Amino acid sequence: MLLVLSEEHKLHLAFLPKVDTKVVGEFGRITMEFLRRGTSPKIYEGAARKLCVPVEIVQHGVEGLMFLMLESSKHMLTEVDFLDSVLVLGFDEELNQILLQLYLKHRSQIRSILSHLPSSLPSYHNLEWRLDVQLASRSCCQQVIPMLTMRLLLTRGYDSHSDYSSRVLQTDPSTLLYLISTLEEALAAIKTSHARRILRNIK
Amino acid sequence: MRFRFCGDLDCPDWVLAEISTLAKLSSVKMKLLCAQVLKDLLDEGIDYDKVTKLTADAKFESGDIKASVAVLSFIFSSAAKHDVDSESLSSELQQLGLPKEHTTGLCKSYEDKHSALQDKLRETSLRLGRLESVSWRVDYTLSSSELMEVNEPIIQLKLEAQGAESGSRETTVVSVSADKFRVLLAELKQAQAMMNALQ
Repeated sequence: MLLVLSEEHKLHLAFLPKVDTKVVGEFGRITMEFLRRGTSPKIYEGAARKLCVPVEIVQHGVEGLMFLMLESSKHMLTEVDFLDSVLVLGFDEELNQILLQLYLKHRSQIRSILSHLPSSLPSYHNLEWRLDVQLASRSCCQQVIPMLTMRLLLTRGYDSHSDYSSRVLQTDPSTLLYLISTLEEALAAIKTSHARRILRNIK
Repeated sequence: MRFRFCGDLDCPDWVLAEISTLAKLSSVKMKLLCAQVLKDLLDEGIDYDKVTKLTADAKFESGDIKASVAVLSFIFSSAAKHDVDSESLSSELQQLGLPKEHTTGLCKSYEDKHSALQDKLRETSLRLGRLESVSWRVDYTLSSSELMEVNEPIIQLKLEAQGAESGSRETTVVSVSADKFRVLLAELKQAQAMMNALQ
């Protein structure tokens, strides 16, 4: 598929052929840093001073390049498609090759950053458990009550490295058996022919 | 195939795969790697530079290094968890394809640190709201805004415990009158007698 670039985007990228190839490489590096860590105005100001152009032009150039990389990675463009999409900008062959190399080198990194973006539900991280037997309490001596105490650690959804939320649960053995059988039923649902047919078609 | 060190379950596929990675190391380096992994499991700190140097000969990439540390951690902690003796561990690992010299080195390290590992695992078992410290003070109330002559002893108890849900330190301060405190003490002594009977 081909990327359709808006007029504004083409205008922003029109800055790129006016500088040399080393600067384009530098812009590529700034773009990747932007995607990984965000950017600061100082970087733009420094580049603008060195190239003697206004700061907005530098900023638009970097952002235009970043958007081009993002959209290409998002749609998993092949080399041919990428070159065709960039052709419309009217750059010379060398610049096209540089952009292509930049795209190919960073494609998988960009995709992994993009895959972390959508927020998701808290997901399982760890389950600690202990099995206790209550022998006596203040009101009643000589008891035998088995109990399972669990601490369920969940990630907080959007970032797998942030703090975990923990839930403390307690259950008796019969509820535990019921819990196990329900979860095993859920696992068995993957093996039904209906589910297998769908998985085969996705692959 | 059921393995005792996996808790009488099948051995996970990734463990099988990484055992062949471990076999690429020489048995001497393997023994040193085991020592490092045991130090990590006992919370003595693992020296990643040493690990990198040990695996450099076999040209392990960073993924292989992480995998071999993970598989050794799994074998040690799982074997200690199910209280497997070192001969059974040795025969099971050889069944999985780990060469004999590697297995002997691994099992020797396991046997040395077996009880220390079990103690450490016992300590880190789930415990909610662990009591850290108790401090107390006995006051004597002379008088108050309600009554001119009160003349009563009162105890202030400060309990520092880990919160059950949050896991962070929580401080609770309670003041207990003499009668209530006598009841509290009697009940706690009963509980202590029960605990001593169990030991």
